[in-house]
Amino acid sequence: MKKILVLSLLAVFGVYLLEVLFKIDFGHQFFLHGVKDFYLTTSPDKMGVANVVTAIVVNFRGFDTLGEVTVLFLATTAMSSILYKGRHQLGERAVLFSSSRIVMTGSKLLFPAIILLGAYVFIHGHLTPGGGFQGGVIIATGFLLMLLSYEDYKVSHVALSLVESLAGITFASVGLLGFLNGGTFLQNFLPTGGLNNLISGGVIPIIYIAVGFKVGAELTGLIYTALNEKD
Amino acid sequence: MVGTPVLFIAIPLLAAFLIPLLGFVWKESVRILPGLVLLYLLYLAVNLMGQVAHSGTIVEVIAGWAPPWGINLVFSPLTGLLTTLMILMGFIIWIYSYRFKNIDFREAVKYFILLLMMITGSVGIVLTGDIFNQFVFIEITSISAYALTAFYKGRDSAEASFKYLIIGSLSSMFLLLAIVLIYSQLGTLNMADIADKAHLMKPGFKILALIFFITGLGIEAEIFPLNGWTPDAYAQAPGPVGAAFSGIVVKAGVYAMIRVIFTLFDVSGTHQFLIIIGMITLIIAEMAAVKQDRLKRMLAYSSIGQMGLVIVAFGIGTEEGVFAALFLMLNHAIIKSLLFLSGSYLVYNSTEKYIHETDGLAKHLPITSFLFALGAIAIVGMPPFAGFWSKWSILSAAAHSNMILVIVLILSVSIIELVYYFRVVNRIYFFPKQKEVEPKRPTINALIAMSILGILILVIGFYPDSVTGYLHSASQSLLEKGKYIQDVLSTGQLFIQ
Repeated sequence: MKKILVLSLLAVFGVYLLEVLFKIDFGHQFFLHGVKDFYLTTSPDKMGVANVVTAIVVNFRGFDTLGEVTVLFLATTAMSSILYKGRHQLGERAVLFSSSRIVMTGSKLLFPAIILLGAYVFIHGHLTPGGGFQGGVIIATGFLLMLLSYEDYKVSHVALSLVESLAGITFASVGLLGFLNGGTFLQNFLPTGGLNNLISGGVIPIIYIAVGFKVGAELTGLIYTALNEKD
Repeated sequence: MVGTPVLFIAIPLLAAFLIPLLGFVWKESVRILPGLVLLYLLYLAVNLMGQVAHSGTIVEVIAGWAPPWGINLVFSPLTGLLTTLMILMGFIIWIYSYRFKNIDFREAVKYFILLLMMITGSVGIVLTGDIFNQFVFIEITSISAYALTAFYKGRDSAEASFKYLIIGSLSSMFLLLAIVLIYSQLGTLNMADIADKAHLMKPGFKILALIFFITGLGIEAEIFPLNGWTPDAYAQAPGPVGAAFSGIVVKAGVYAMIRVIFTLFDVSGTHQFLIIIGMITLIIAEMAAVKQDRLKRMLAYSSIGQMGLVIVAFGIGTEEGVFAALFLMLNHAIIKSLLFLSGSYLVYNSTEKYIHETDGLAKHLPITSFLFALGAIAIVGMPPFAGFWSKWSILSAAAHSNMILVIVLILSVSIIELVYYFRVVNRIYFFPKQKEVEPKRPTINALIAMSILGILILVIGFYPDSVTGYLHSASQSLLEKGKYIQDVLSTGQLFIQ
């Protein structure tokens, strides 16, 4: 009886939900008063940023991005806080079977290429699709590959938290530097440069490079903590 | 000009990133830096409050883009009051937890980062004028809260944290859906802009977005059917974190919900809905609190009940009702934090935290017991302490709106409240002490923190006029929707590049 009641309630709500959601006419000109046109025209014309998504993520809504970077930072802090056991209790990694020589050599060859690709993606964040978050994830996959193929591969916790903190401080300080010349937080204070040049878009590349380092270090730290967790 | 509202977010973020680095140089700095940051922000908050009282709401634009396009922070009498309250509570909780339990250096790094970020997230929820930005701050607050709940790494605290995590993620999902619905209709994320254009939304979308908002934020604000995580999380989190939950995090959740209902959408019947749901929350929570045999769970249920009362007072909807609700939020933050902070020393060495373990502790912990009793008397609304004035203003607001049933129910629930608080006080003062209980003397910082809260209760109790002026202007600023929209959208014109 109870189940039938729950199911019928869910069905009523589901029908209502579908009824409403089907009315969103995606693909049509349904924002009459929205903010999108302003973003589309301002980004290339006034800010010299070819990738509009990056302009929105890092400049128009840069404050959100600072928040998201903090969320990631907190997630790593939280995970290492919960998994932290004190140095003497840290065990060896559990390894089911060790990797073959081919895997080991192959990973060693691939590793620099992956890091290079990651760096390329976040350095060109304002020109091509991708950016700090994507580049950082690519870098972390490089470290994941090394950690999986070498049982005794070590990543220095000190170095990771150094990179993490410095990148975060860079982001927040660039934000505070926006107050120069009577501007606002996170406002661009550098020349915007020409459209489609590597050095253009003012502070956007600086912030995205910091984000790239930060995401890379954090995800690597997450993987490393999780792999070395022994229980 | 001492600073701008964005420093409430930027400075703690900078400090949180800096803490791990400073730890390499000087270990003690990890504990000191958050306190310095909070002290500076308190100074800033008080200064800005003066400025707001003098020259009106401060709207700060971020990244130089005018409000509908960029993100903005709004420091109005209402948000300023809540910000000041949160920073003050955060600072007191920092004093208390400076040497709380013997956690080692690496744990202290995590603890202080997470605590500072939980406070910053809550302040961000209150200050922001952008609906998606608020979602980001809700994420920051909740992720720190999950981690702090599980801080003792026991089996029960892991369970509590996991429960909170699952329910909290559900809340985030609902909020995101609501934001997507709004954006799909209006193409804007700025709260003032949404409020301005809300009449353009189709009714179906509006109702659905409102349902999602109330469900999502109701989880943060501990509304009745959605608060399954609350007692566990409060009971398992470390004492100061429990105080921060009830003094800071819940307040931010309630604020977000009230902002959506009062400013974003005008849907008829929402106020009545608030009264009904608040009343149910109040009654069920207080009945559950009587049955508890563990101290912290009892306090948690009492906290839920008080939030229900706040929601009822907001639901009355008049200027008087909003004033009463804000007054109760202020008092509850102070009193419930005092109860959590002193209560966690009363059951310090106990694993199960039963109420009967506090028997006869008044002789061993005189100051802590006295402060707990003061908090208990204040929260049930005995004159002349702080809680009396807020309960009185809720009752008079209800009376002026002819809500007799609400008055009857609040008064009868108050009797239940009286019973379970005085039961504990009675045990502390008049029962013989149990032999196996080893009382732990509070550290000097804990005593200072608790005394500050005790003094605040007395000050507000004897001189309620010291805060009512701020509360009146805050409640007016919540009800003046047109002025909020105009304040925010008119700053826009100045900043177009």
